[in-house]
Amino acid sequence: MSVLRPFRASDMFKFNNINLDVWTETYGLEFYLNYLANWPDLCYVQAAPSGRMMGYIIGNAEGSNTEWHGHVTALTVAPEYRRLSLARKMTALLEFTSDEIYRAFFVDLFVRCTNEVAIEMYEGMGYSVWRRIREYYGSLGVGNRGRDEEDAFDMRKPLGRDPGRRSVRANGREMIVDQNSV
Amino acid sequence: MERQIRPIYESLDTGSNKSAIVACNKLLKKHPKNELIKTLKALALVRSQKVEESLSLCDEVLAAKPTNDAVLTAMMHVLRGLGRHKDIVTMFEEAYKQQPANEDLAAQTFFANVRILNWKAAQQIATRMHKQFQEDRYIYWSVISAILQANDPMTTPSMRTLLYKLAHRLVTSSPTPSYVNADRFHLHLSILRELELFDEARTLLESDVGKSICSASLSCNELRRDIWRLQSLLKEEGVKAQVRITEQKDRNWLEFLSVLDATFSSLTSIKADEQPDDSTKTECASDVAKTQELFTKLAEQDGHKDRSALLALLELEKRARFHGISNDTNRMVDLMKRYFEEIGDKACCFEDLKPYLTLDADDSEKWKSFLQSLSPSFTSTDDLRRLINSHKLLRQNLTLDDLNLSAESDRATLYTQQYLEGLKLGANLPSTELQPADDLAILAGNVFVSLWRISNDQKYLYNVVGLLEFALTKSKQSFQTRLMLIRIYRLLGAPSMALEHYRIMQIKQVQHDTLSHFILSRASTFSLASSGDLTFSTECLEASQIYNSNTQDTGDYIARAFTGEKYSQIPEFIIFEDRLENSLQRDIIKIEHLRMRLTHEAISSDIIDMELIELKFIFDRLHHDNRDFEILADYQPRLSQKLNEQTLLFGKSEGSGWLITFLKVYIRAFQQGSDLDDTVEEKLLIGDRPKPASLQNKLPLKDRLRQRTEEDLAELTPDELAFVNYANALADWLEPYHDHARPPPAVVLAEAAKLAELKTGHPLKGVEIPPKNGNASTNGSAKKDEEAPPATEAPELVVRYFDEMKTRFEEAKRASSQSLALHVVTLMQEAFLLFVVETLRFKAPSVVKVNKLGALVQQFKLLRANAIAVLREVSSNLIKHSEEDGTAEQRKCFVDACSMVTVLNIDHDFVLGVAKKFTDSRKKVVEGVGKGVGRICTSYN
Repeated sequence: MSVLRPFRASDMFKFNNINLDVWTETYGLEFYLNYLANWPDLCYVQAAPSGRMMGYIIGNAEGSNTEWHGHVTALTVAPEYRRLSLARKMTALLEFTSDEIYRAFFVDLFVRCTNEVAIEMYEGMGYSVWRRIREYYGSLGVGNRGRDEEDAFDMRKPLGRDPGRRSVRANGREMIVDQNSV
Repeated sequence: MERQIRPIYESLDTGSNKSAIVACNKLLKKHPKNELIKTLKALALVRSQKVEESLSLCDEVLAAKPTNDAVLTAMMHVLRGLGRHKDIVTMFEEAYKQQPANEDLAAQTFFANVRILNWKAAQQIATRMHKQFQEDRYIYWSVISAILQANDPMTTPSMRTLLYKLAHRLVTSSPTPSYVNADRFHLHLSILRELELFDEARTLLESDVGKSICSASLSCNELRRDIWRLQSLLKEEGVKAQVRITEQKDRNWLEFLSVLDATFSSLTSIKADEQPDDSTKTECASDVAKTQELFTKLAEQDGHKDRSALLALLELEKRARFHGISNDTNRMVDLMKRYFEEIGDKACCFEDLKPYLTLDADDSEKWKSFLQSLSPSFTSTDDLRRLINSHKLLRQNLTLDDLNLSAESDRATLYTQQYLEGLKLGANLPSTELQPADDLAILAGNVFVSLWRISNDQKYLYNVVGLLEFALTKSKQSFQTRLMLIRIYRLLGAPSMALEHYRIMQIKQVQHDTLSHFILSRASTFSLASSGDLTFSTECLEASQIYNSNTQDTGDYIARAFTGEKYSQIPEFIIFEDRLENSLQRDIIKIEHLRMRLTHEAISSDIIDMELIELKFIFDRLHHDNRDFEILADYQPRLSQKLNEQTLLFGKSEGSGWLITFLKVYIRAFQQGSDLDDTVEEKLLIGDRPKPASLQNKLPLKDRLRQRTEEDLAELTPDELAFVNYANALADWLEPYHDHARPPPAVVLAEAAKLAELKTGHPLKGVEIPPKNGNASTNGSAKKDEEAPPATEAPELVVRYFDEMKTRFEEAKRASSQSLALHVVTLMQEAFLLFVVETLRFKAPSVVKVNKLGALVQQFKLLRANAIAVLREVSSNLIKHSEEDGTAEQRKCFVDACSMVTVLNIDHDFVLGVAKKFTDSRKKVVEGVGKGVGRICTSYN
């Protein structure tokens, strides 16, 4: 239960309860303005009836030919609003728009290899690992689980334009690439 | 040539402006007429703050009316750096005139106008572009320019309508329909909404393509919903919403609201002064029953998975009660209980139920006993969240009678105990995770603050510190805990501890605007800039960076949105840019920084002139308050003050009234101290002037500086008010002498011209140097024809100020409020520095002699001597006091005061460690401020 609406530039004045969380990065103005100036229909907010922001998703469309796809750049929910399926709903809308408006072949997103909760959630939503990107997250340094903490899975979900499911593969977890090849 | 120029670009890109200048000079020897090299040199000069030298080059290039793309681009950066946006427009206009077939130049001219929000010109250019280049999108550029001109606050209502009509005509004139893309469609709909052309809107929206756009575009659908509402088609919208909810399983709360609005539309459509008849009520009651059936079914289907239907049932009952058509007196509380049973294990339950907690006595009692009957359990995090929710809900409905010392003490103990118990559930979580029990500590913190407010006993705040510092060792990422601690530390006069927590949160980018108030509000109270420690002053500068990014970047993205035709974003970006540009917090920080600067740098006419110009720019801004106060977790009862208000430093938040009052004080003092009167400033100042923010204020600045309103002054603390009264009295007293002694504009300009020529080798443009004969000499002490105003006695307010503030200082010390004592002392220091500003002109013996102001200056000596004597006394008092603060005894006092939490097994040694840091922090600031006051006395003695 929440209001699903477009992300607006002035939401930057209100997203503190989400962005003060350690896992959510606050970027420069140009980051948000760039996404909004190019893909406003791939950026949404979930808000409580009181108007308080609960979470948001920021995405884009990129790639050429059969690599043309929707991408989830940032997806975040404030700590007090987790376990309410908000991420699921925002992702579903991004998939819908990628499919209907952008006619993309698939949607993809990056997730920390150690973030089992998220990986499981995305798998439940139809995503699967396409490849593993070495040292994608450098920000927190090597944690107690070694390199896993920094590596990312690139996860994909095929859309209507890819009925043959060419944008996914079964052995994605073993396909390891370098960060600069992404 | 290109090969020779490339290294210059590289130097500029890497910030090596010096080597860029050297390279330019070398090349200019061979090609003295080359525009591009001149421009690049001008750019390097601007970037190395050599404004005057850059200006003359810049004007040379502009005079040649360049059309070369590289020159224009580089010039754009030069002019931006100089704040000459209007000249950018002229430059592109000239270039476009010379090459009317150049589409890129046309677009640049358009964007240059967009940058300065000159919508009228932008609209005309876009229309011309469409005629010439035959591209549809230029029609839309023209349409949105007309709309933005209409939305400008300076546009009159009748003009607004005309412009919207123009926009409408333009849209319909487009050869392709607006629905080819969602953003054009959005723009079209927004015009129809404004002009209330609902039939046309309906035709568009009911078409297949219209429906399909709305189904995929949230922003178009938002507009559609709005248009339906404006047409009072609530029932129809309700039916649509119901379909979306039941068939498409949409759980957007907006759809539920549409169903609710439709349910009550038979009653809400009645005019305010009419009473609904019985049949309307019956009709509505039957609608309510139907909606209830719908929501009940949905609630069963969704169960624990989605809370929309359950919450919608609550909202339905609330509205039914409001309209007097509820038929079940138990339903409200029953629904609330059910909500709690289903959703109580989610953290958001409390917030969801908050709007429904205002109940009558009976319901209130039932609700309370339900919550009290729940037995606390710590077996799972779900149980723990239930417990936390029940505490928050109970606390929300406490009466003022419930808020007594003993009951609140019991609550503080209970929450702390349960917090410690709850920690066991999160014992194995990684350090990056939040503890599920955190909110219990924050609840306890709220109660301790309430206890402090009831008793005025600081020991309760010490308990918050002890408890929350402990909580942070268990939950390092809990920003809620930190925010509360920041507030408490400032109340207790331990600013370095507050700053430490603030920095750990890594506030950055736009958050500086919304959150820096936590640390920078009245930060000059704690600034040690007077003794050379620039921590807070630097913090001000860092927080202000975001405003530069806004000025530099946001405009580019507005242009980007035009190019990409994302019209829905353009008005939003403009609002955003304006909210940051004219942010209240921005200028509050500016004032705090100025107050710190004056304690650190030697007060000179340069500082006075520069600050004067900057403050005058700020003065006419229409400010927006973007500060986030909601972020502080507030669990205080509905009837009590909010935690935010309770924990504000000195109980007052600075708003626009505070800002305008301080601006007036400083602008007035600087104007008096400065030689730059308006005519001089007009000649010397480069760059654009601020746009007038409103049509109303036509009074001359001089009169507006004297205006004071009760509302503005209400935002000041009593001590700030005393300072402002002192400042006004001082300025009123000295004004005639300043006006008499200030050198005439011609003399000031001549002096400036001489300096500029020395610096750049070029004469100053637009300034004619008067002949040096006659009675004008350039040393600033021209002999006056008229008599000097007779010396008058200093006003009582000025004479008594320092002695009275000393009494206030002693009161604050007796009340052992360290932050208040610092507040009083820093204001006294500020008053003294203002005196220095106001009397600087009369330091030069020649000025005194020529203007015959000897008697006046005699009074200054007495005033100064008294102020210094008082300040020295206060200073040594503070230093002595600080020696007591860092002792073991003080630490023991702190630890003893924390008994309410230490008795519950928060480790004694841990609290002792906190006590050490806390008392050290207090000692540092008291000592630093004390020494700083002494230093200032010495420098200006």
